[in-house]
Amino acid sequence: MQGTKVVRPFPFFRAGARASQPQLAKPILVLEDVYKFFRPDQPTLRGVNLSVERGEFAFITGPSGAGKSTLLKLIYRELRVDEGRVLFCGRDIGRLTDKSIPFLRRNLGIVFQDFRIIDHWTVYENVAVALEILSMPQRLVRSRVAEALERVGLAGRGAERTSNLSGGEKQRVAVARAIVPEPALILADEPTGNLDPHLAIDILTLFEEINTTGTTVLFATHDHSLISKRDHRLISIDEGRVVEAQHGLKQWPGSGIHTLVG
Amino acid sequence: MDVKSAMTRARRGLREERRLYIVAVTSLAVAFLCLGATLLGVTNLDAAATRWGQSGRITLFLKDDADPQDIAQLRVVLEGLADVSEVTHVTPAQARASFLEEADVGADLSSLPSEVFPASLEVTLVPGVTRERSESIASRLAQFRAVSDVESYRSWFQKLDHLLWGARMLAVGLAVLVVFCVVAVIGNTIRLAVARRRQEIEVMKLCGATNGFVRGPFVLEGMFQGFASALLAVLALLAGYLTLHESVDGTLAALTGSRVVFLSAWTLVALLAGGALIGAIGSAVSVRRYLSV
Repeated sequence: MQGTKVVRPFPFFRAGARASQPQLAKPILVLEDVYKFFRPDQPTLRGVNLSVERGEFAFITGPSGAGKSTLLKLIYRELRVDEGRVLFCGRDIGRLTDKSIPFLRRNLGIVFQDFRIIDHWTVYENVAVALEILSMPQRLVRSRVAEALERVGLAGRGAERTSNLSGGEKQRVAVARAIVPEPALILADEPTGNLDPHLAIDILTLFEEINTTGTTVLFATHDHSLISKRDHRLISIDEGRVVEAQHGLKQWPGSGIHTLVG
Repeated sequence: MDVKSAMTRARRGLREERRLYIVAVTSLAVAFLCLGATLLGVTNLDAAATRWGQSGRITLFLKDDADPQDIAQLRVVLEGLADVSEVTHVTPAQARASFLEEADVGADLSSLPSEVFPASLEVTLVPGVTRERSESIASRLAQFRAVSDVESYRSWFQKLDHLLWGARMLAVGLAVLVVFCVVAVIGNTIRLAVARRRQEIEVMKLCGATNGFVRGPFVLEGMFQGFASALLAVLALLAGYLTLHESVDGTLAALTGSRVVFLSAWTLVALLAGGALIGAIGSAVSVRRYLSV
């Protein structure tokens, strides 16, 4: 590492012991009265207030089109809030300049339903790209990628082309890419949407394991079979409004799961 | 931007898009070849003009009634000049004989009388005398009583100058055209490459890549295309030169007194560096336009 510049603009965002005590005490993510409009008369998100603590695991759920992906896009600044504030580690990300957005994203790990991995690259290349962006030395990249692949159960398969992998394995590569820079927060947008129920549970378990190391995870899904198996915090979005339960469906108010996921 | 990482990714990009880039490089090499060939023409014309300018000649046409003493005095003056290496007196009979020997007009000119041809003094200047100095000597010699007219071959030099100017303008025009070609072809190639690698770009953006990180490899790929095209053109030109120069050399030496020369080292460096620079500019313009990151 000596003599090589490693770009970590906000080191205090990172998971684990690097954050100071006052920072650890604050919520990692706060949404204050957030509105997002795609049509002037019909907000997709209306007055969303939300606070996520460091190290939390939370499901974000709701029917298709409810605004789950929109909420996540506001966090990784694919979209900008129309009203309200989104604070990540106390910083209003709605006010970040375009040049600062990459530095925000270096502190996030993002996983999608459609994997978004490059088929003609190898498994190693797909994961290493997240570290190459940080100008990390190759020696360190190799060891960190090997470690990440081991965590997702793909140890020793770095040389394989991702086009030869199954759907579940591709999603594991995407998860490895998300965790390899040790982000403070992982945003998973329907990561099990393209997988069969057995693989979906595997992937959920993988995210839970990642969460146990101190990484905050926001897991968006409309799969009630997954939600019902765990007691994580539940954030439901319906018609742009948020309803919460701290310990899964057991504490869910109202008439049960059908009101939750449509 | 990490240059090493950009180069690694550019190498990968070149490998993945090699067919696209081979077509682009070949097309651009033709454009560079046209420019190189014109520059070669200019270089050789320039060499011939320099050679002619330095091996100066002046012809003093003498009056029919010139006093032989005046002619002798004029020869003494001429031979005393440091810039003059040789003075030859050509009589009307010698001029007529020489004309009949060299002329090839397809008519019988043997009936022409000697009086038609004026006597003259052929003055050969020492090598290295500039054209301006030659003009100055000619205008001074015109003052002598025995001299009716002076030919310093100024019109020949003017014609050569015009030819050289035309060739230079052609080279400049071609250079501008080549710049446009390179910018357009590389721009479009990069545009296609950007479209084909949109998913990679999206992934890199989501991982926190800066604009420089994403654009860097494309600029390097454009730079490589420009350089490779120029290099290919130079090599083709060199191959052509090596193949033809022996057969052309003798003819050219007989016509102009100078031998065929290849492009100077500086011109070659300028062509290669220019190719790389224009390639990088064309690519940078294209990624700025088509790659919103």
